[in-house]
Amino acid sequence: MRIIARYVKDLRSHFELLTIYDREVIKEKLSKDNPMIQTLTKSHPSCIWFERKIRDDFGIKVSDSFDNRRLIHQERFPKNIHPMRKDFAQKEMDFSDYIPYKYEAIQGDSVFEVAVGPIHAGIIEPGHFHFSQAGENMLHQEVRHFYKYRAIEKMLEGKSLFEVHPIISRISANESIAYQLALRDIILEASEMTLPDSLKIEHAILLELERIIHHLTDLGFIPNDAGFASALAFCSKLSEESRRVMQTLTQHRFGFDSIGFETLTLDHGYLQDFIAKLQKEITFFEDWIMDIPSLWDRFDGTGILSKEKALKYDCVGVVARASGIAMDRRDTPFYQKYGFKISTQQSGDVAARFKVRLNEVKGSLALIDNLLKAYQPKGMVCKEVLNDGEYFAFVESSLGELFMSIEIKENQIERFFVRDPSFINWQALHLMMPGNIIADFPLINKSCDLSYAGNDL
Amino acid sequence: MIKFWLKRANEGILTQNPEFDQTLEEIKKELQGHIKRKFAGSLAIRMVDSGSCNGCEAECNALSNPYYDLERLGIYFVASPRHADIMLLSGLVTFNMTPHIKDAYEQMPHPKWVITLGDCPVMESVFDKTFAIKAPAKDHLPIAYHIQGCPPSPEDIIRGLLGFLKL
Repeated sequence: MRIIARYVKDLRSHFELLTIYDREVIKEKLSKDNPMIQTLTKSHPSCIWFERKIRDDFGIKVSDSFDNRRLIHQERFPKNIHPMRKDFAQKEMDFSDYIPYKYEAIQGDSVFEVAVGPIHAGIIEPGHFHFSQAGENMLHQEVRHFYKYRAIEKMLEGKSLFEVHPIISRISANESIAYQLALRDIILEASEMTLPDSLKIEHAILLELERIIHHLTDLGFIPNDAGFASALAFCSKLSEESRRVMQTLTQHRFGFDSIGFETLTLDHGYLQDFIAKLQKEITFFEDWIMDIPSLWDRFDGTGILSKEKALKYDCVGVVARASGIAMDRRDTPFYQKYGFKISTQQSGDVAARFKVRLNEVKGSLALIDNLLKAYQPKGMVCKEVLNDGEYFAFVESSLGELFMSIEIKENQIERFFVRDPSFINWQALHLMMPGNIIADFPLINKSCDLSYAGNDL
Repeated sequence: MIKFWLKRANEGILTQNPEFDQTLEEIKKELQGHIKRKFAGSLAIRMVDSGSCNGCEAECNALSNPYYDLERLGIYFVASPRHADIMLLSGLVTFNMTPHIKDAYEQMPHPKWVITLGDCPVMESVFDKTFAIKAPAKDHLPIAYHIQGCPPSPEDIIRGLLGFLKL
C-alpha cells in the first residue's frame, strides 16, 4: 500500500493521528497525557518527515524512530513550542539560543562535506543540501528544508473557506491552479453540489495550461544545467508566451484567484491558435533536442531512481512516472474521455524525467484541444453553507499528486492540512545521488523540479 | 542540428520581434542610460527569497527570456552577495530565513542597497502575520526601494528598477 500522508489533529480533549493510504484511512486516538506514536518508517521511509513534523507541531513523541532531530524548528527556534496545538496563539516569537543541527554525514579517510544553501547561487528558493564527498563523487546527500516555513496550516485555522482562496492560490505559485482546484473540490463536497461539465472542462484547461508552463520552463532549465543554454532560450520563450495566454484567460500570469464557480468564458479561437502554434514549436524542439548526442550523454544514466526505490519511498508525479510507475490522478473516466494517456518511462534517470515532461506537454496540448471541442462557457451558483466534516481532495498538479484535507466546523476551518507532491519526492532525492559527481547535482535536482514553498508551507 | 540553424536563419533574432511592447523598449533605453551613468554600465543584483510562493522568482527568471533579456542592459543576477550592488528581496521574511538574509546583507560590499520585491516583504500580501513571519523587511534591513505586485510582472520589475535608479 502506498502512503499518502500522516498528520495529527488537535481535538482539544485528545489528539487524533491520521494515516492516509491510497486505499484506506487509519485513525488513532492519542491521549494528551504523554502522547506517543509508533513510527512507520521501517516500511515507509518517507514517513520520517511526517513524523518529525508531528513532533515539532504537537510535541508528540515517536517511538522507535531512527531520527529524533527537529525538522521545521531550526537552530534559533525556541524549545518546547508546539504551534499546531490549539492552545498556542502567539503571533510573535523571539529568536532563541542557537541549537546546532547535526547533519547526516559519512565519516572516513579523505571523505569531506560540502554544504550548499540555504541561499543558492541562482534565482531559486532557499533550502540546504549537505553532501558527503569522496573527491567528485557524491556518497550521500541530506536535503534540509523548511526555511520558508510560514505556518500556513495555522494561519488558515478559524477562517471561512470562502475567504482563504487568495492564500491558497499563493501557497506555491507554480501549482496555484492545482491548489485552487483542491479547495474547489472540498467546497463542492461540503456543500453537496456537483460541478457542471462546462466548469469541469474550463478548470481542466487551466490546469493543463499550468502544467505546460511549468514543464516548458523545466525543458529549458534541465539542458541549461548540462551547459546547453540555447534550449533555455527556446523554451523560456515558449513558457513566456504560455504565461501570457494564462494572463489573457485569467487576468493573472499565474492564474491566482482564478478558479471560481463563475465562468471565465475562455475564447475558443484564441486558444486553438495558441495550441496549434505551440504544437508546431514542440515538435520542432523535440526533433532538435533528441539529436544532440553530447546532451544525452549527460542525461542518460544520471541520477537514477529505480522503480523499487520509487515504490518504497511512495514517490508521486513526474518522478514516479519516470521510474516506471503508472500513477496519475488524471487517470479517470473524465480525462480518458478527452484522450488522456499516462506518460511513463522506465529508466528513472534525468533523461527519463526529461522525456516524461516533453511527452506530457504534448499530451496536455492534445487534451486542451479535445476539451475545447466540448467546451461551453457556463458557470454555477455555489451555496454558502457548508456541512461540518472532514474532506479530502486529490489533484494532479504539474509536480504530482497533491493531497489536501480540510476539517470544517461551523463554516470555519478547524484543521487545514496539505501534502504537496514535493514533500514526498524531496525525501527520495538523495537516492539519486550516489554514483554521480557533484556537478550533476543541479541537473538531477532540476530534472525533479520540486517546490520548496509547497513543501515548507 | 541543421534544422535549428535553418529555423534561426528564417526567423531572425526574437528580441526584434514586432510584438515587443513599444513602451517597454523605451523604459529599457532609459534604464540603460541610468545604469551607464550611475553604475559604470553594469548593475549586479543578488536575488534572495526569504519565504515567497516562488512567483517572484519565476518572474525574475522570466527577465532572462528572449522577450526581456535584461542582460543586454547591463543588469546581471549574480551568484554571490559579495558580487552584488543590490539585494532584491522577496518573500515574507520567515523566522527561519531572517538570520540568513542578514548574513547575506553583511556579505555585500559597500555601497549597497536593498530593494523589496512583491507585496510579501512589506507585509501587504494576502498572508496574515503568524509567529513564523518576521516581515516587514524594514525591521531587519535598510530598504531603499519597493517594487509592488503579487507577483510583479517582468515589466513591473523593469519599471521598478528604473524607479530606483532615478532616485
